[in-house]
Amino acid sequence: MIDLSLLAKAVGDLDEDKMLELLTEFVASNPTEDEAQTVVGACQKGMEVVGDLFECGEYFVGDLIFAGELMTQSMDILKPVIGSGGEAKAGKIVLATVEGDLHDIGKNIFRSMAEAAGFEIHDLGIDQKPEAFIQKIKEVQPEIVGMSGVLTLALESMKKTVEKLQEAGLRDTVKIIIGGNPVTVEACKYIGADAFTTSAAEGVKICQAWVNN
Amino acid sequence: MSGMGEQLGLSQTSGEGRTQLFKDLFAGIKPQRVPLTNSSSVEFSIAHAGLNIAEVLWDLPKLEYVLDKACRDFISDTVPIGGIRIPSYYQILGSRPIVMSSSGFMQHPEVVGLLAEEYDEFISSPYNCIVEKIIPRLYTALDTEPDKKALTLAKAMKAYCDDYAVLGDIRAKLIEKYGLASLSSVTSEAPFDFVADFLRGFKGIIGDLRRYPGKVAAACEAILPYLIKKGSSPDINNPGFVFLPLHMAPYLRPNDFEKFYWPTFKALVEAFVEAGKTVNLFVESDWMRYLPYLYELPENTVMRFEFGEPGVVKKELGERHILSGFYPATLLQTGSKQQCLDQAKELLEILAPGGRYWFQLDKQILPCNNTEKVANNLQAVLQYVYDNGKY
Repeated sequence: MIDLSLLAKAVGDLDEDKMLELLTEFVASNPTEDEAQTVVGACQKGMEVVGDLFECGEYFVGDLIFAGELMTQSMDILKPVIGSGGEAKAGKIVLATVEGDLHDIGKNIFRSMAEAAGFEIHDLGIDQKPEAFIQKIKEVQPEIVGMSGVLTLALESMKKTVEKLQEAGLRDTVKIIIGGNPVTVEACKYIGADAFTTSAAEGVKICQAWVNN
Repeated sequence: MSGMGEQLGLSQTSGEGRTQLFKDLFAGIKPQRVPLTNSSSVEFSIAHAGLNIAEVLWDLPKLEYVLDKACRDFISDTVPIGGIRIPSYYQILGSRPIVMSSSGFMQHPEVVGLLAEEYDEFISSPYNCIVEKIIPRLYTALDTEPDKKALTLAKAMKAYCDDYAVLGDIRAKLIEKYGLASLSSVTSEAPFDFVADFLRGFKGIIGDLRRYPGKVAAACEAILPYLIKKGSSPDINNPGFVFLPLHMAPYLRPNDFEKFYWPTFKALVEAFVEAGKTVNLFVESDWMRYLPYLYELPENTVMRFEFGEPGVVKKELGERHILSGFYPATLLQTGSKQQCLDQAKELLEILAPGGRYWFQLDKQILPCNNTEKVANNLQAVLQYVYDNGKY
């Protein structure tokens, strides 16, 4: 059986070669679905370490991006052995870069870290109108809506999206978190979001606190 | 030492007087007062004039009315053109690196121009690789037979020349009419940023740093002479500058910065300064951990900071370099007039003493839904800096 703590350490250290080696060996050993789930858990633990190292200033944004890439790779390798059941999701998040903004790096970092933390992510992509959020929220009924943006014009689109959710009677069914370069405590109040962050790792922690309450 | 403008008795609101402010500033001499720039993007000015962004960007002569209004409504020592991106030639070229969003605002999304397995080819002959592989990938209308490619390129160059002629004409008229400083500029990029932005993408280069670090360093070295050349032509007047919008450093580990970003960036800045040019950096995001490196750049490098601690930066760099930025553009959107003025007062008190300070916001003001509030706040802030930024 695979050494789970070694795997978690490889992910936490962003040691791609070691991680791939361990996972490839594991998949070749023809594991059960339960065993595969514990391996997913070890990868998630490694991602938590990455988040912590980022928060304490040892890792930087580039490290989070690379960690996201490692998570995608590990899930691709594990897919054939995980099975369809899987564990219960931590919660659902509808996520997008808001209207007028084409930037998606921050959103993608958040997505990979939130997925690693067990959230089911519905990523609408970039430059998304409020109507797209509304349609998706009605369809999947998420606990959380994540709005991302890099340009300052995104703040207005975020505000507009919150207003449209209000009009559609959906505002109080979800928690809203905004993220990206221009968000501040003032912007958060102005927009009417529940939380803001410029750190994907912190954003995931906020979402976890919401669904655990 | 007092500014030349004062000695010459130049008016602070004449073109000559305002140009002198920048000549003094870039020479490290205390100008008569703090030079100031209206940091509106062209797109914001279009919204302020009540026009449609996409429509004006596609019909540039309309910009004359827009920028005339901006010059009338906001105090500024320079024409508020900033980093304009004109859609005509990007569209003709089928551009992927610069595209228009649904709001009409031109942006740079994540693109990959060079595949990881093509690094060696790029390193051995950057020019050939750019012409043969990268340009057709990034500018899709050039991914065609040679005769069509030639026609497309000719069309795009014609559009480029026509649009910049219109822009140059508007600029010259406004400088004359409003007595503004005539600053010329040319843009280049730090080699690592170029490799990230146009060759490998943000995500790509982050992986490359771990998988093929030697190739990343060699690619930065290989492109350096071309980026020196890009910033050297056309020649710029005095006062003028080579503008380098810095990008990737804050997202890297300090060790990676030192090994991969810094050597060719420093060489680039030094090459421009040796050729007698002023270098103007947009210091994106937070560079606080790199201040000792910035200190090492040639004296009187202009640095417009986005985030960070102005007091610390003034102390560490203020006697050697020219500081700007720090004023949060978003405050104009979210803050009251008093909060906006308080912020201007605080920054003036920290950054103006002794000179080497140019008032600009931390970044361009982009269009938004509450144009009027932003415009009122901006007006008040620029007036405050004009009235209180005297030496």
